Amino acid sequence: MEPDAADDADLLRAHGAGDPHAFARLYDRYDRPCFLFLRRLLGAAHGDAAEDLHQETWIAVSRNAATFDAGKAGFPAWLFTIARRKAFDHFRRQKVAVLASAQDDAAMMIPDPGQSPLEQVQSRELAREIVAAVEALPLEQRGVFVLFTQAGLSLEEIADVTGVAVETAKSRLRYARAKLREQLAGERSAHV
Amino acid sequence: MSDHDAAPDPMDKAYGEAEAMLSDEAARAARRARVLAAVARETATPPAVASPPLPRTAWGRGRWLAAAGVAGLAVFLAFQAYTPVSIPQPAAPATPAASAPTALTAPALDGPAAAPTPPTKVPAPTPRPAAQPSDVAPPAARFSPPDAQASSSAPPPPPPLQQNAEPASARAAAPAPPPAPPAAASSVIEEMVVTSSRRTQADAEKAAGQAARLRAAAAAGRTTELTALLAKGFDIDAPDADGNTALMKAVQADRPVAAALLLRRGAALDLENHAGRSARDMARTVNDPKLDEALGIAP
Repeated sequence: MEPDAADDADLLRAHGAGDPHAFARLYDRYDRPCFLFLRRLLGAAHGDAAEDLHQETWIAVSRNAATFDAGKAGFPAWLFTIARRKAFDHFRRQKVAVLASAQDDAAMMIPDPGQSPLEQVQSRELAREIVAAVEALPLEQRGVFVLFTQAGLSLEEIADVTGVAVETAKSRLRYARAKLREQLAGERSAHV
Repeated sequence: MSDHDAAPDPMDKAYGEAEAMLSDEAARAARRARVLAAVARETATPPAVASPPLPRTAWGRGRWLAAAGVAGLAVFLAFQAYTPVSIPQPAAPATPAASAPTALTAPALDGPAAAPTPPTKVPAPTPRPAAQPSDVAPPAARFSPPDAQASSSAPPPPPPLQQNAEPASARAAAPAPPPAPPAAASSVIEEMVVTSSRRTQADAEKAAGQAARLRAAAAAGRTTELTALLAKGFDIDAPDADGNTALMKAVQADRPVAAALLLRRGAALDLENHAGRSARDMARTVNDPKLDEALGIAP
């Protein structure tokens, strides 16, 4: 996915001006990464809310189209900021304690075992294991990992969306990858 | 670490492929239809929060005026009800029993405005104001000073604070103060009506200015501004001196996008100006296929 920020802004403007097709085009560009981001961020326990939050996110995009300023941030960063806020609002409503980022990062100070032999996904079972492993990551690391891999956001954009420094976003991504490698390698060896 | 972290990782690829493998296209299509329908509904009916200024100004003021009007009417009726009663008062010394009616009549009028009520008045079943005391009392208290000023022809009732400071026996011995004439109350009402009409005029001037901004934005094709103005609750069909609406201005200036926006937000296509021409008629004169398409009148 290689979205052009200017095009996104044009589509959003056209939607605000009443073009009925502009919003659908914009939606089609980001539907999948946005939904996956929400779905993985919510995890298995709150996955049922993903559909609703996804819809709320796009309604918020439509409602606030006039306030979007392409000069301040690209549309993806704006969209995922809204989506992330929706997820955290959901956690707050459900009284889910979101661990502080520092604790997450400290807990993930594990040695990087290097690249795993997972070069390709060979079965749906393994695919489910990978997704489950992603959902088992600490919340902030999960968010960064999905934004980076699925939404195609740069580390700078992720830092914007999550409200942290770029270095923090980088370290979260590194920890997420390391944890996934460790977990999946362990599971694979357990299967053998 | 920076370059290494930003580079693609085998784990990223594995996760991407896992998501692709688990992707459910049917669910995705259903979700798409649901979301787009919800957004369309949302766009068709702007949220209530999008137009707060109108209720805040006009309705807020109107409510305040209504409360003030009720309070004024209550004061007027109270004076009317008490006027004809006149019991010959023997010049008797104050008795403890004489102070009892004061306590009875005080709550009937609610608040400081009731303080001048003569203690000798019979607490007859007076027609109490229909409104709740909590609604009526504050405006009555606010309007009591003009009431006292307006009744310059009659001896004014003693000031409430002074009266409250007196002992109960002295109050009972004092001669009954004459009731305020109805003219005083009516002057208060007149003043309120004048104030109300002034405010209505100011509101009308403000609305006219807002409508002019809307029409100017439409004529210039400034859709973002149009959207913002409409979200504030501006009257979309407010005409200028010639009866031209924002939609007519957009059509005259050949602004298809602005015209489509206005039409979608409920602007009337067949409203006529003072010359008897509607936006539809004007579009025929402009003869721009894009404009016709935007207005949904393309052949």
